[in-house]
Amino acid sequence: MRRGRYIKHLAAYLLAGLIMVYASYRLPRLLPGDFVTAMYASSQVTLTAEQEKEIRAYYRQSGDFATYLVNLCTLNWGYSYAFLAPISRLILEALPWSLLLMGGAHVISMLFGFIAGVEAAWRRGSYSEKAGVGCMTVLEGVPEISTGVALLLVFALYLGWFPAAGAETAYAVLSPAGKVWDMAHHLALPLATLVMAYFPGNFLLTRGSMVMVLREQFVETARAKGLPPVRVRYAHAARNALLPMVTRFGLRIAFMITGALVVETIYSYPGLGTLLFNAISMRDLPLIQGIVLFSSLIVLFVNLALDYVYGWIDPRVAYAS
Amino acid sequence: MRSSLFRGGCVLFSLAALVLGCPPDSSASPVGEIRIADSKGDWGYPNPYRHYPRGPGYIRMSWVFDTLVWKDQQGYIPALAEAWSFDEEKLAFTFTLNAKATWHDGEPLTAEDVVFSLDYFKKHPYRWITIDHVGRSEAKGPHQVIVYLARPYSPFLSDIGGTMPVLPKHIWESVEDPERYNDPGAFIGSGPYIFRDFDKAKGTYLYESFHRYYQGRPKGDRLIYVRSAKPLISLTTGQVDLANIKPDMAGLLKRKGMVTIKNERGWNKKLMINHRKPPFNDRHFRQALAHAINRQEIIEKSKRGYAEPASYGLLSSDHEMYNPETPTYPYNPEKARRLIESLGYRRGPDGYYLRDDCPLTLELLCSNITVAGESVADRDGEVIKGQLESIGIQVDLVNMEQATTDSRVKKWEFDLAVSGHGGISGDPRILNEMISSQYGAGSVNSARYDANPELNRLLKAQMFEMDQEKRKDLVFKIQELHAQDLPAIPLYYPDSLAAYNPDKGITWFYTKGGISKGIPIPQNKMSLVK
Repeated sequence: MRRGRYIKHLAAYLLAGLIMVYASYRLPRLLPGDFVTAMYASSQVTLTAEQEKEIRAYYRQSGDFATYLVNLCTLNWGYSYAFLAPISRLILEALPWSLLLMGGAHVISMLFGFIAGVEAAWRRGSYSEKAGVGCMTVLEGVPEISTGVALLLVFALYLGWFPAAGAETAYAVLSPAGKVWDMAHHLALPLATLVMAYFPGNFLLTRGSMVMVLREQFVETARAKGLPPVRVRYAHAARNALLPMVTRFGLRIAFMITGALVVETIYSYPGLGTLLFNAISMRDLPLIQGIVLFSSLIVLFVNLALDYVYGWIDPRVAYAS
Repeated sequence: MRSSLFRGGCVLFSLAALVLGCPPDSSASPVGEIRIADSKGDWGYPNPYRHYPRGPGYIRMSWVFDTLVWKDQQGYIPALAEAWSFDEEKLAFTFTLNAKATWHDGEPLTAEDVVFSLDYFKKHPYRWITIDHVGRSEAKGPHQVIVYLARPYSPFLSDIGGTMPVLPKHIWESVEDPERYNDPGAFIGSGPYIFRDFDKAKGTYLYESFHRYYQGRPKGDRLIYVRSAKPLISLTTGQVDLANIKPDMAGLLKRKGMVTIKNERGWNKKLMINHRKPPFNDRHFRQALAHAINRQEIIEKSKRGYAEPASYGLLSSDHEMYNPETPTYPYNPEKARRLIESLGYRRGPDGYYLRDDCPLTLELLCSNITVAGESVADRDGEVIKGQLESIGIQVDLVNMEQATTDSRVKKWEFDLAVSGHGGISGDPRILNEMISSQYGAGSVNSARYDANPELNRLLKAQMFEMDQEKRKDLVFKIQELHAQDLPAIPLYYPDSLAAYNPDKGITWFYTKGGISKGIPIPQNKMSLVK
């Protein structure tokens, strides 16, 4: 019985995976324009008709979905037209930077957003709670592009405290500690932009969940037992407000590429978002397909992982399913 | 509890800002390090077969590979060839090579390398140069090479002498697939800098100076390209020493001690016209459009005054072969209306033109294209739409991303499109490429216009005319005919500026006619050599 349920579950994910693979194959092909036109449009090289034909023939690839699928399964993700490098290598080179930026922003905004949300709900009705909710509601509506530009203007242009671009000082000769420090220095502004974008949502979500949980009888019981307030808040109440936060965390990680695209572009940060942006502007079809597929698989994997994490955090979920 | 939490948060944030905000001592650029900003970062590997076919890609290669001749602010100067001459009877160029020139691996550079390069590029085309006109070449001793032309070819010095990177024979003679060749040998050149690294994800390049460079040791020990979409901040914070800037940044940068330089008029924004379909296939209709468009208003509203109206003859008004008598089309809505009415159009009740009950409606495509491979959001399309509608032409304005616009123009799926290109202050060969389908059928910026036989004849003739004065006459006539026929309408030359930090003791400059085939970027290697 239980085994049958797992098989069904797995089959559903496999089907979703196949649909995603097909979407990653099909969607980039619907983009108007092509690599040769994009590459040579602003070029000093003016192509004759024969040259254009010759170049197009060089870049023509198999249009067959079956071949695409076989190549994927044999870990042959293709070769980028523009970078003249294997797709897998390009993705793996950009991935650590995206993980550092997005992962850092998520962990910080989730941790602090959660704590701030719990504290705000506990103090419901106080001036600080009302001010906090007001501010966070406004901040939630401010797009990353505005925050990013404002931080750049203040901290990079006028104060000159932080660099405006890149993930590190290129080719600087530094000690290992200096290198870490240099990366943190470059990371500060893009990270702050993303934290400011994610923090309000986490705060409001936690506060909302926590307000509901605090009405429950088991919280009253905990209070009546004379437990310290911190223990009532975190050990009894907050744990039950955690589930929506986990969902949010998972979904945000899944949208790692598109989520950081704007911020990576503003700060010229070398992550997957920048790579995808360049690939699309160059119509580098194999690279677009590779990144789209990679991000789709992350969505799938995170969803699968969440199913199990839910059960671990809240045994009622596992029991109900 | 609350206030202590708040205070704790404030202290934490302030500490983080202070600690991270202090610039690292060790990341400060050592003397002799030059950093250049680029908004895109990646322009391919710096060798002839792997760099992107755009100006910044060629520039990255030019630090590593030298050509026979080069250009500076005044014009052609010696490079690998310390002297050159042309024998008109034999149709032959003789180049005398600099005997001090060596490859980065220490091997001497000889005439055999030049002969090999010409042969290799015939076998494996390098699309920046046209080798078809070269008959044969021979080495006369270790430092003299003669290149015999198969037929006259007037842009030889620009296209081959000043553009063709000379390859080391001892490395490339065994390379069968140059596009995939990526060994360290692929980057051994004879230029002032040795290629060390290209990081694709970060869009950074590292070069180190070639101490035994035949023109003297280059000024900067390390040359680094970094990706930065914010040149203003990168310059003022000292992250970079040179960057292309927008014209309205110049004032602030000057106040911060930067030097700003302005390029000649080498890039033009133009209105592409689908002259293959009615009513655009009628020259008078195109002329009516030219009279209806107020270019000064576009410059004022869209470019905030930072541009100049372009010549209708296409060649830059800074070009030595620019024809000052080129016909012009002053803004004249009345004349535009008369021309349109002479084609059978009548004003409808709503003020828009009709012919045979069909309204005169056209689609205008716009994108963010601008000079030096950059992109900028402007209002060209909006202003042109307003101007055309004011004389009675209905316009559907479609703003699209550049690759999509280019693709539609290439397939002739458009009526009007705002586009642009450079090269107009370089060799007049650009006229052929941007007008005729015989030369520019594969380009999205070429008008691909072949309807005027006289224009076709002149375009062909100017490519074969080796006498510069006679060629100038032909080029003058071509400009006149272009301005009369208007296969595309040149709009304006946007101001193109760069800024650099003078503390490094380097004077950057824009090259006359652009680097190589007309690249309007102030990263001429001579800035670091002489």
